[in-house]
Parts: sequence; C-alpha cells; structure tokens
Amino acid sequence: MAVSTRDQAVKVAAAPEARRRFSRRRFNQALTGYLFALPWLIGFLVFTLWPMVYSLYTSFTRYNIIGEPRWIGLRNYRNIIFSDPSFLKALENTFWMVIVKTPIVIVAALTIAILLSLDLPGERGFRTIVYLPNVLSGVAAIFLWQWILAPNGLFNAGLELIGVRGPAWFTDPNWTKPGLVVMGTWWIGSQVLIYLASLKGIPKSLYEAAEIDGANGWAKTRYITLPMLSPTTFFLVVTSIIGTFQIFETAFIIAGAAGRDVALGGPSQSLLFYVFYLYNRAFGKVGAGGLQMGYASALAWILFVIILIVTLIQLWLARRWVHYETDGR
Amino acid sequence: MRKTDSKWAWRRPVMALAAALVVLAALPFGTAQQGQIPLNPEVSGDIEFWHFWGSPVRRNAVRRVVAQCQAELPNIHVTETFKPFGDIWTANIAAVAARSGMPDVIVADRLQLPRDAADGIYQNLGELAEADGVDPAAFWDFIWDQTLYEGDTYGLPFETDVRVLFYNKNVMAEAGLDPENPPATWEELWAAADALDVWNEDGTLARMAFFPLYGNVGADLWAMANGHDFVVDGHPVVDDPAVAETLEWMKRWIDRYGGWAETQRFLSQYGAAPNDAFMAGGVVMKVDVAGYNSILNFYRPSAKLADGSTANMDWGVSLPPYSERPATWSGGFTLSIPTGAANPEAAWEFIKCAASRPGQVSWARDTYAIPSDISAARDPVLMADPAWGFFVDAMEVGINVPFVPAYSNWIEQLNQRLESVWTGDVTAAEALSAAQAEIDSIIQQNQ
Repeated sequence: MAVSTRDQAVKVAAAPEARRRFSRRRFNQALTGYLFALPWLIGFLVFTLWPMVYSLYTSFTRYNIIGEPRWIGLRNYRNIIFSDPSFLKALENTFWMVIVKTPIVIVAALTIAILLSLDLPGERGFRTIVYLPNVLSGVAAIFLWQWILAPNGLFNAGLELIGVRGPAWFTDPNWTKPGLVVMGTWWIGSQVLIYLASLKGIPKSLYEAAEIDGANGWAKTRYITLPMLSPTTFFLVVTSIIGTFQIFETAFIIAGAAGRDVALGGPSQSLLFYVFYLYNRAFGKVGAGGLQMGYASALAWILFVIILIVTLIQLWLARRWVHYETDGR
Repeated sequence: MRKTDSKWAWRRPVMALAAALVVLAALPFGTAQQGQIPLNPEVSGDIEFWHFWGSPVRRNAVRRVVAQCQAELPNIHVTETFKPFGDIWTANIAAVAARSGMPDVIVADRLQLPRDAADGIYQNLGELAEADGVDPAAFWDFIWDQTLYEGDTYGLPFETDVRVLFYNKNVMAEAGLDPENPPATWEELWAAADALDVWNEDGTLARMAFFPLYGNVGADLWAMANGHDFVVDGHPVVDDPAVAETLEWMKRWIDRYGGWAETQRFLSQYGAAPNDAFMAGGVVMKVDVAGYNSILNFYRPSAKLADGSTANMDWGVSLPPYSERPATWSGGFTLSIPTGAANPEAAWEFIKCAASRPGQVSWARDTYAIPSDISAARDPVLMADPAWGFFVDAMEVGINVPFVPAYSNWIEQLNQRLESVWTGDVTAAEALSAAQAEIDSIIQQNQ
C-alpha cells in the first residue's frame, strides 16, 4: 500500500464511488490476510496469550489446578521475595550458569567457527562433527553425558592420563554446575553455524585493505572479524542467556539420577535452577500445601521480569560494542 | 500395636458374617478366609489401571494379580498400564486437572496420600469401604491410618515394605566373622568393617564393608536408630543432638573411605542389579527393602572370595544396626481412584479384589513386598521361605512418622542439605539449624 493518507483523503473527496470500491478491495485484502493468519492467531490467542493472562491472574491466588483459584493478593510474591531461601538458591544457581556458561560457549563457538572458516582440509567433515550433537535427542545425550562424567567415567579416565584425579561431577555439589558447563560446550553446533555464516559474509576487500596496510592475523581478527561479527555475537549472547535462564531438562534428569528425589534439586540443591524449582512448586514436589500453581505462576512472572531487565541492560550495553555496518559507526 | 478400640470394631462380627455369606454365594471363586473383602461380580465395565512396576519380576507379578481378579470379576475388563515411577503421579494430576484421561485405578504413594487427598486428586473411598465392610483392623494400624484424610480412607493399602540389613555370608565367614551373628549395633558394625574392608595396593578401595547411604536408606532411618523421633507433638524436629550425632557418624563412614568424591567414585563402578555393588561384591552389607530379596532370588549372584574362586552367594538378613534402639520404617502404596475416573464402581471392585488376601499374597510371593493385610503377611505360602518370617517381625520395630498437614514434605529440608555435610562444606550443626529454621518458617506460613 504505497498510498499516503493525504492522497487517500483527496481521492475520497473526489470520488465517493471509487472510495467504496477501494475500501471494499482493501477490506477483502485484509480479510484474506487475516484468514491466512487465522490458524496462527487462534493458536497464539488460545495457547499463548490466554495462558499468560491466566497465569498472571493465578499468581495472585492459591491454586492447586484441581480446585478453584482463591485470591490471596500479593502473598505469593511476598513469600517468594522475602522468605523463600530456595528461590534465592535457584536464582544463585541460574545466574552462576548464565555468567559462567555464556562466555565459555560464545568463545568456544567463535574459536571453532574461525578455525572452520580457514578452508583447511577436512573442514566439511569437522563441520558435520561439530553440528552432530544438535541432531541427537537431548534426553539421550544427557544420559550419555552422565556416563561420560561418572566419577570413574570416560572424562575422568582422560584426566587420570594427565595425572589429575577428577571430581565426582554430578554427586559433589561443588562440581555439578561445572559438569553442566562441560556438557554444554558439546552442544555449540548451531552457534558455530551462525558464526560461520556471518564469517562468510565479511567482505574479503576489508582483509585485503588491511593486509596492504600491513596488518597481521591477530590485528585482522581484532579489528575486522570481531567488530564485523558483533551483531551476531550480540544475538547469540541474548538468546543463549535467555536459554540458560530456562535450563530445565538437564537438571531434571541429573538431579533424578540414581533414584534420587528430583525435588531435592540435585546434591545440596546445586542443580536447583529457576524453571526446575518452578516445576517442583507447581507439581507439589516441594514446599507445603500440595500443588502450588499460584506460587509457580508468581515465580514465572518474576522470571519474566528478570529476563526482561537483563535483556534491556544488554540492549543498552549493545550500543557500546555492537557494530552495524549501516549505522555509520 | 493393634488398635482394639477402633470405631470399626463393632463391625467385625457383622462383616465376617456378610463376608461368609458372599463367599458362600460365590463358592467357585474362593473359600471364606480372613482378609477377604466381599466382591460384587455383577459389576461390569472396562477399567484402566496405572502402576509403575516395570521390572520383569514385578510386571509379571502385577499381571498375575490382574488375572486373578479378572477370574473373580468376569464382567470387568482391566487394562494394566505401566508408567514410570514419579511420572505416573504427575501424569495423573495433569489428567485430573484436565478432567479427562485419568486411569480408573492408580497405585498411590501412601505417605503422600493425605496431602493428595487434600488437593482433591483422589476420591474419598470412606463410604464405599464402610458399605462393603472393609475392616481397618485387617491392616497394620499405622498403614491404615496413613490412608486417612479427615477420617476417611482414600485408598486401600496394597503393599508395604520394610528396611532391613542384607549381608553377604560367604564374605563374612571368610573374614573370620560369624555369618549367623551380623553386627547389631553401630560399634559392632564399625569393628566388623575393620575385618571386611579391602584396599588395593595403590591405596584405592577394593571392597567396602558397609556404607550408610548405599541401598534404600538415608539419614532418617539412622537418626531413628539413634533414638530420634522426628515429629514431636505434631511438629517436625530435625535440629536435635541425636540427629547431629547421626550425621557425624555417617560422615565418619564417608571419611573412612576417603571422602565423598572417593566413595562416589567407588560406588559408581556398579550399576543396577545384577551388577549392583552388593551382588558384584563391592559392598558386604547394605540396607534395602525386603523386596530386594526377590531380586537376589531372581539373579542368584555368586560371591567372590579372596582366593579368586567364586561360590553361590549365601545372604542373610537382620535389622539395620542401631545405636539407641532397633528401628526401621515402611513406605508403600495404596490402590486409589483418581477424581473424575470414568468407572469408579468397577474400579472399586478391582481394588477390593487386589487388596484382599489372595491378591496380596500373590503379589508378595513374587515381589517380597510385605502385604499390608496382617493375616496375608503370615500366609503359609509366604512363610515357606525361612527368611520371610523375619521380614514380618521387622515390621514390629517400624517407626511411624506422623503426617504433618502444614508441611508434609518437611524431610526435604534435611535431605537437601546433606551433600554439603558429606563434602565438609558445612557442619552437621549448621545444616540442621538451617533446616529447622526453614521448616518452622514454612509451617508458620501455612498456618
């Protein structure tokens, strides 16, 4: 619709007949558009918007999903923020993962992507290998890693070769989260792929110009590759932080290994991540009072606010380090 | 232990008469026995039965119970469905909330039953039980009481378990200990371990005499054996010298074997039966539920001896070693009807059949779960195994921890702090006072 409002107004005044025809056509077009979007719209309204609105409502209630919600005002929020040590523990664990895992994953993905972009022999084979873990089912892979990181598993056997007595990864509260980070660096295939695509998009002329100016390999990486990749890095940082905030199934499976009660959140709650805690509250596995959907809803909304704030901070910080070719900086 | 002044007591003669009449009327299906709940073979319908017994031994055992009840209730068709432990209840809750897709009969966790009843997950079976003359005195008292919420039952007790010490007699004899007199106290246990532990030349562990956390056991049972009652006047108490002492005792075992990481490394060499640490010879004594006996019977493991030879493993059972008093505890399951189930009448008939004496004896014979029906527990078929009587006797030292409505899951506050004690990051006293503070605060929030 490249017709401005003023143009329309002129036409409308000049020809009411044309206006009717026009608005009819416009209406039909809109209708067709909405009809095409309808399946998605219904899905969004019924399965996303409505549950969100309803969960906002239930967060102010005591609700066990079987009976009717009972209004209790801000009590869930007050209890969570002022008198729930498990909430603080879950936040601490989650932030630990966000702060430790995100940079490691980004740096590892970037390094591998740069290596893969060097056009060395066997590059295609390596690319396949790096992406392969993403093809495997998550749960099966977690079980595999439980075996690799068993106290006398493959990983510790490797450490033993260089004279290091490896820790009891998933049973020692001090090592469970590092274990997850080790495991997480295995799943960087999609990040590597995104980086690779961006790397291929950097104009060769920039490097040639730098070479003429006498830049060495590091200088080219530092002053051309990294700035040119910064929008990609920004995207990956934002998505991986959000993903880490929502970590669930790895913790769920590992915390429940060897017949342990999932609700305990792993050894000394060291795997009690935010969403995992939320699940345990919702299905009445922790705390008093049975199924606590209201409490869990309040936890979900607090997480929403936290992720929103963290993302806004990143958007604000991005202005200082993300380089877009079009914005002239 | 039995209740004599039960409000149901007057009903017993009436019930016996009714039972006799019903059984007479249905003579081809059985003879009058104690523990037999009258069935109504006229009731018809299809019912779905969810359980979590997937191992070869248990799956067949549950099929046998279903087959028996199908014979007694010819108009009811039972479909038994396996769901993984844990998930079974989450799936049921989701179905009950959605008001569709729940089974007609489900195996429910007895220790959580009152709380689930309060949440409206299961149907109140009080009236049905009363109408059919179900006799609470037929069951162990504490077991029946655990099925009650506000005075009504929400599930007929099906099986129960009991924690006992299993020990490897061959290895005991080889180490010069009397295989007929296993350690009874904590001191004897520690002394026996001196004879039973084996270390490799490089200083790593080759065989562990005993580990207080290996098997179906935790700090709670050991604290009970150290004389601690967890619920005092309806309030959970974990911050107590007896518990602190227990945790320190457990920590001494961990340190004996080189610390938390080393013990985990050692135990992780072993897997599930028949490669578990007890059957594979890594641990000489373990606490487990009586049902472990059926697994030992099934696999018939061999014992590794010091000279490199092997022999058929001869194992013994005794009470868990204690410090202050012999103690054990029993969990177990009920058969319950989820709220909104399509066919509660037929479901109830099936439950009565499975929970009555023949059903429970059949189940116990295969699985070594203890029947919750007292007369069934001493059925001659079961007593034919010389070890069986011991399991039933062990029930007598069982400690029943009362249900705390304001916070039924209070033990999580203790359990979630234990690994930090084992690694030495916090002391037992610190962990206990933190756990107690949290229990008190949650109970206050809920009152």
